[in-house]
This record gives sequence, C-alpha cells and structure tokens, in this order.
Amino acid sequence: MKKTALVIDLDRCIGCYSCEVACKNENNVALGVQYNKVFTMGPTGKFPNLEMYYLPAMCQSCKDAPCVAVCPTGASYVAKDGVILIDSKKCIACLSCISACPYGARKFNEEAKYVEKCHMCEHLLEAGDKPACVKACCAKARIVGDVNDPNSEVSKKIANAGKNAHSLPDEGNHPATRYILHPKTAKWQNRKSWTFFQSK
Amino acid sequence: MKTVVIDPRFTADASKADVWLPIRPGTDVALGLTWIRYIIANKLYDADFVKRWSNLPFLVNTKTKMIIKGNELFKGADDKTFVVWDKKTNSAKPLPFPYDDNLEPALEGTFTVNGIQCKPGFQLLKERAEPWTLEKGGKECWLNPKSIEKAIKIYTKDTPSSVALGVATDQTPNSAQAAQMSAVLNILMGNFEKPGVMLQRYEDKGVGGVLRTSKLKGFLSEKQLNKRLGSKEHKGMLHWWIAQPTAILDAMTTGKPYKMKAWLERSGNKLGTVANAGAWVKGMSNLELIVHMYMYPTSFSAYADYLLPVTEWLETDFITASFNQMFARQATTHLYETVNEAWIWARIAKRCGELGHENCKRSFVKANTAPESPYFDTYEHQLDEWTSFFGMTWKEYKAKCPFEYIPMNRFRRYYVYKETDPKTGKVKGFNTPTGKVEGYMESLIVLGRTGKPFTTFPQSPASKDYDPLPYYMTPSENPYNSVGKKFPLVMTNGRLPFWHHTTLRNIPYLREIKPYAEIWVNPMDAKKYGVSQGDWVWVESARGKIQAKALVTEGMAKGVVYMERFWNPETLNSATHGWREMNVNVLSKQTAPFNDICGTYTLRGYQVKISKASGAPKGIWQKPEQFEPWMPKVSEPTKTVEL
Repeated sequence: MKKTALVIDLDRCIGCYSCEVACKNENNVALGVQYNKVFTMGPTGKFPNLEMYYLPAMCQSCKDAPCVAVCPTGASYVAKDGVILIDSKKCIACLSCISACPYGARKFNEEAKYVEKCHMCEHLLEAGDKPACVKACCAKARIVGDVNDPNSEVSKKIANAGKNAHSLPDEGNHPATRYILHPKTAKWQNRKSWTFFQSK
Repeated sequence: MKTVVIDPRFTADASKADVWLPIRPGTDVALGLTWIRYIIANKLYDADFVKRWSNLPFLVNTKTKMIIKGNELFKGADDKTFVVWDKKTNSAKPLPFPYDDNLEPALEGTFTVNGIQCKPGFQLLKERAEPWTLEKGGKECWLNPKSIEKAIKIYTKDTPSSVALGVATDQTPNSAQAAQMSAVLNILMGNFEKPGVMLQRYEDKGVGGVLRTSKLKGFLSEKQLNKRLGSKEHKGMLHWWIAQPTAILDAMTTGKPYKMKAWLERSGNKLGTVANAGAWVKGMSNLELIVHMYMYPTSFSAYADYLLPVTEWLETDFITASFNQMFARQATTHLYETVNEAWIWARIAKRCGELGHENCKRSFVKANTAPESPYFDTYEHQLDEWTSFFGMTWKEYKAKCPFEYIPMNRFRRYYVYKETDPKTGKVKGFNTPTGKVEGYMESLIVLGRTGKPFTTFPQSPASKDYDPLPYYMTPSENPYNSVGKKFPLVMTNGRLPFWHHTTLRNIPYLREIKPYAEIWVNPMDAKKYGVSQGDWVWVESARGKIQAKALVTEGMAKGVVYMERFWNPETLNSATHGWREMNVNVLSKQTAPFNDICGTYTLRGYQVKISKASGAPKGIWQKPEQFEPWMPKVSEPTKTVEL
C-alpha cells in the first residue's frame, strides 16, 4: 500500500520560511493558521560552542493515524496514496481529532467551522505535481514520495541516512515523516511531546 | 567543502559552518590583517603566483609611496616594465611583462636604488600586518586566537578558497579597506580564475554593458561635477557617479555649500535605511519639493509633496542575462494604477528639455548618448533599444528567449590570464595598468589626487592621500571610550531571509512570521540590564531611542546586540509615520569619521544601551489577525488610461 510522506533534510534546511509561506499561498490559509511551520531548534550549548537547526513541522503522515481512528463521521480518512485528508463536509467540529493528534498538527477553522491541516497539496499530487512547500524549498531540503516503495527517492534517502533519519516521538501512531539530521549539523533534540500550533 | 562564518550572530550559515567567528562588529579589517600576518609569517601563500602575477614584488619608493616605473631606471623599458630586487645578482632589475625567469625577485627586504630607499609592495604589506598577531587580533575582535588560527588553516589548506564579503563590512567606515583586505587574501593565495574560486572572468561579449544604466558622464560639465557633494574627499564614489550621503544631509540642513531644493526618491522607505533617520527628516523640512515614486506609500511618502505610483520590478518587462544565456523577464499581473518609473524619468527629462534644458534635449538623441542608451518616449522603445544589441525587437527577443549568446565552454573558461592575446602575442594577464593583480594599490593614491580613472575632468586632491594598503580603523564609538561608558553595547545589523531591504513589511503572511523587531541579547547582558526573554525593551544611542522585543540567546556575543531594520506600515498615518517605533536606523551614526575613499558612514558597530520598557509601542500590530486589512481582495478591473 502506498504511503506518501515528506522527508526533510535538516542538514540542508536554512530556516528561510519559504515552505511556510508557499503553503499559505497555495492553500489560502488564514492568518494565524499554519499547516506547516518552521521552528528554530536552539541554539543550544554555551557561547560560542553552539548548535542549531530548523524543524519544519506539519502533519506527520502517521501509518496508524489516531486522528482517523477517533473521527466519528469518517471526515478524517486515508486517501489511496496514503495521505491523511479531511472531508470538510463530513466534519461536525467535535474536535476529537485535534485532541488525538500527538503533534498538534490540526487546527480548527473558526470561520468555516471545520478542522484543517496539511493535506500534502493533494490537488497537486493528483495532477502529478508536488506539494507547494517541496517546490518552493530553495535548499532542496524537502522531498515527497512513497515511503513504502523501497525504490522511491524518499526511501533511499531514509535508508542512506541510517540512524540519522529521525522521527518525532512515536506513541504507536507510527509517523511516516522523517527528518534527516547528522550530528555534524546538530544533535537531534528529543522532546516528550510536541504541540506545533497553539490553539487560540 | 568547509566553511568559516564571520558574523556576530549565530545564523543558519554559522550553525552549519566548521568554524564560527563571532566577531566584534566593525573590526573585520583587524581580523583580515591578522589572517594576512599569519599567512605571511607561516609562508602559507602561493609564492609563485605572488611573484609572477601580482604587483607585490615591484619596488615602491618608500618616500613617495609610488611604484618605481621601469623607465625611471632603465632606458627603453616599456610601460608594463617595473623594477624588482633580483636576489641572484643582488641588484635592481627591470621586470618586463609578463615575467623574466632569469630573475629571482625579492618579496621581502629594504633596498637602496640610486640613493632612494625602496621596498617591495609585499614587504610593505608584511609591515602593515606585522602588529596583528593572533593574540592581538583576538583581543581586538573579541575572538579566541585558536579559533582564528583554525579558520585560517581551513582557508589556506582547504584551497582553492574564496572570501565572500557580505554587506556587513560595507556598512562601517572601514568599508573600502575590507574589500582591499579580501583582495589581498585572494592575491596571497592565488585564488584567481582557478576552478572553484569566486574570482572568475566570464566572456560576456559586451552583454553586461548593454544591461548597465546610462550614467551619461560626458553630459556633466566640470563646474557641475565639482559641485558634487563629498566627492572631493571621497573620490571612490565617482565610480558610481554619486554624492556622499552625509554631505547631502549637511547641505540640506545647513544650506552649505549650497541650498538643496528638491528630492526625487525612487526607493522604498529611505527612512529605514539612512543613518540617523531623524536628522534626515529635519533636513527634509528645508526642501522645496519632495517626490516619492514607489509601489505604495511608506514613511518617506509622509514627507513628500507628490506620490508617483510606480510598478514593482517584477511588474515590468526587462532584458536579463544569466550565465551564458539571455532571458526576458516578463511582467507579472499588474496591480493598481502604476507606471514603469523609466517612463517617469523620461517624462521629466522631456519636459525639462521643452523648457530649455539643453542636456535634457540632447539625452533623447542616440547620436549624443552613444554608446550609452538615450531616453525614449516610451518604455517599449527602451526595450527595443536594449534588444537591438542582438539585432532584434523586444517582441522578437522575448519569443526567442531563452537563448545562449555564447557557448558555455567559451563563457566560462579558467586561467584566462594565462591565455595568449592574439594582438600582442603575449599572455593576457589581468585588466589592470600593470597587467598583474594589484595588492599594492598605488591606483588609490592616483584616485585621491586626481579622481582618475573615474572622473571626466581633473580633480583637486583630497585632503589626505588614500592608503595603497588595507588599514584598520577602530570603531569611533566603542565600549572603551566615553560613548561606550554611557552606551555599553555594540549594535550590529543584518537581514532576515524573508525580507529584502525595507520592502515586504506590509505582506501579512510575512509579518505574521515576524510581527515586530527583535533585539538579540546575550543572556549575561540581559541579566545585567534587567531584560527577560520576550520583554519589550528600549534601545537607545546618542542619536535616538526605539523599541524592540528581546530575544535572549547564546547566539550573540556578550557585549553585542543585533537588530534587523524594521518599520511599521500599520502606523503610517500616525504621528510616527511608521519609522520611529522600531527602526534601528534611528540609532545609527551619520557623522564622521567616514571611509576616506567611499565616504561610508556607520550603520553597524556603534554603541547603544538597553532597558526594560513597560510595553509595546502604541498602535503596532502583533497578532496575525491584525494584518487582515492587508490581505489581497478581489476588486473590479481598473481601466487602462492612455497618457
């Protein structure tokens, strides 16, 4: 089964925010809402021996997505290519999925009264194109593809990185997104829990 | 590839570098001299290149500081022959271009030729750098000597290597010497036209000349040229054919040496970029006419008599080159009623001509302006003029683009200086009077005395000769002098990746990323001055006072603070006009000392103090939703008006 996910090379990411803005432009995302947000990790250490990297955060494309499991109406579902989507027409704004997502990657759209999040620019994927953030990445740090296909670019990238391919904490939800970060750039920072986007 | 980042703040580049040198702002030339000393002392330089391809072996008269010409000592020597001290014969010998393999030119030593004391340029360079040991450099620049040494080793041993100067050094009074120091480093390492170095000579077949703006230097009379403000002292500015900013400000403020009448401005928010913005606003009140042409109103517009809405650059067609190919930049969707500014300038020139201004009249006739471009009645004709270089109209050109104007293997080839010039039968060398790369810049002495090669008329000398070698200027405001006692912290500046100059502060998707100006402060300084993470603080210099939000970070050296330049379009219609709240250039220093050659003032490396403020400046927007009024909205199409 296909599982489309992002692999982000943090050794290459320069924290320019192009992905964040490209996402908003492409998807007409409201002010104050991000599907994709770049966090600065650090600097850590003591001056002048410091480390820092940037962490672009978005839906982690879980293989066992709790947001889908808890959705009472089937609004949250997994598309054929493995992308987790929300059918806004079926969303009853119960917000269960927001509580279920371990990364806080979902946000309630106050105006339209439904939950939204990164959908990997599904409309572009369907047209054989790539997500806006991938296309806008001037450092070529973001790649997209099928992590279940061992011959895909993403799978090769993950395999090459070995233990330097990281994921955010896995609580049984099996995030498919991988971050490549070698110790030469910085040490990967583990956090017990993540909340990307503060609720209003 | 290995990298060294020299920057007071821990940037993305610094985080990926092999060595980060968090330098004290304004001391870059001291660091450069430290590198030069180390490279010479440890013989890490490319001696063969220095001897064959630089002017550093040439003997310099220590009294006049001028390089001894071959024909001063040797009859019949041509103008590319200079004098070296030959170690084999222990005597002065003529060195014709390109080289004489029978000679062994001395790089170091002091010699007497015909009773005149002289030294090779290399020796003078060595003497200049001599005081700058790793320890002294470390002390001056607030760096660990071991880190400096590690960086030099990367630069010299992981060759070929390059120095990329950002604008940081351009924004201090030591600006020109920083560029000189970088050139000297390249010369010492022979980093010219090798694969992998930055200094390459591309064959552009004159395309670069086509794309250049017309200066029409010949149109300016001697009398007018001599009135150019600040250009007697700072003759390097004649290269760009401009006046010195502070000299303009002084004339505006005092009416001396003559009264300024009008300001036609064609950039965004000048008040966000000039040093000591407050002084400029005062000076502007003495003007009779201020015109602002821009895409949208900025702080500067608040003081203008006329606003002329012009297109953004991406809203215009333009001929452009990249590597060996030509491209047609074609206008994006054009918003609102604006015109290309080229059209406005042409209209002004046209009208002045009609009113009797002879040069304005002449500027529309190609025969008068050739080889530069004349003014045209329409921008379409201007485009046709540019593309006529390729024998095409703009329409034909854009249909053909992109096209190669030269094959890649002829555009980029290495070691051009070693190629044979078919005209002379000799190797080409470099495009300098000596044919060599000039580490000892005698040309600066000539520039300071005469204005050559940039001037169109002989100029009277600057009050002091320019120095042919890079020298270090201690920042005039610094933590060790009286200003530093009152204002203990050194301010630096620098870009954020998503903003360009003073543009884009009114783009909601960008302002929600960074809604306010931040001031980066080391935790020890934050503690010392009672500032915590996220506090609003006052930032004050001898010139003014602004606010910023504290980002307390280890990524900033102790004693240094950093701010990005900022202004607030949301308060444009208030008493501040958006430039007084968080604009770091309210604080920067427009007064002397200036760079001798280029007249540069101090935008970085001056002194400030910080203290906790009770809250944010009045009226500024901080929450993402507040930027909603700036979101694009669907509107009725506007009519095209024919003028």
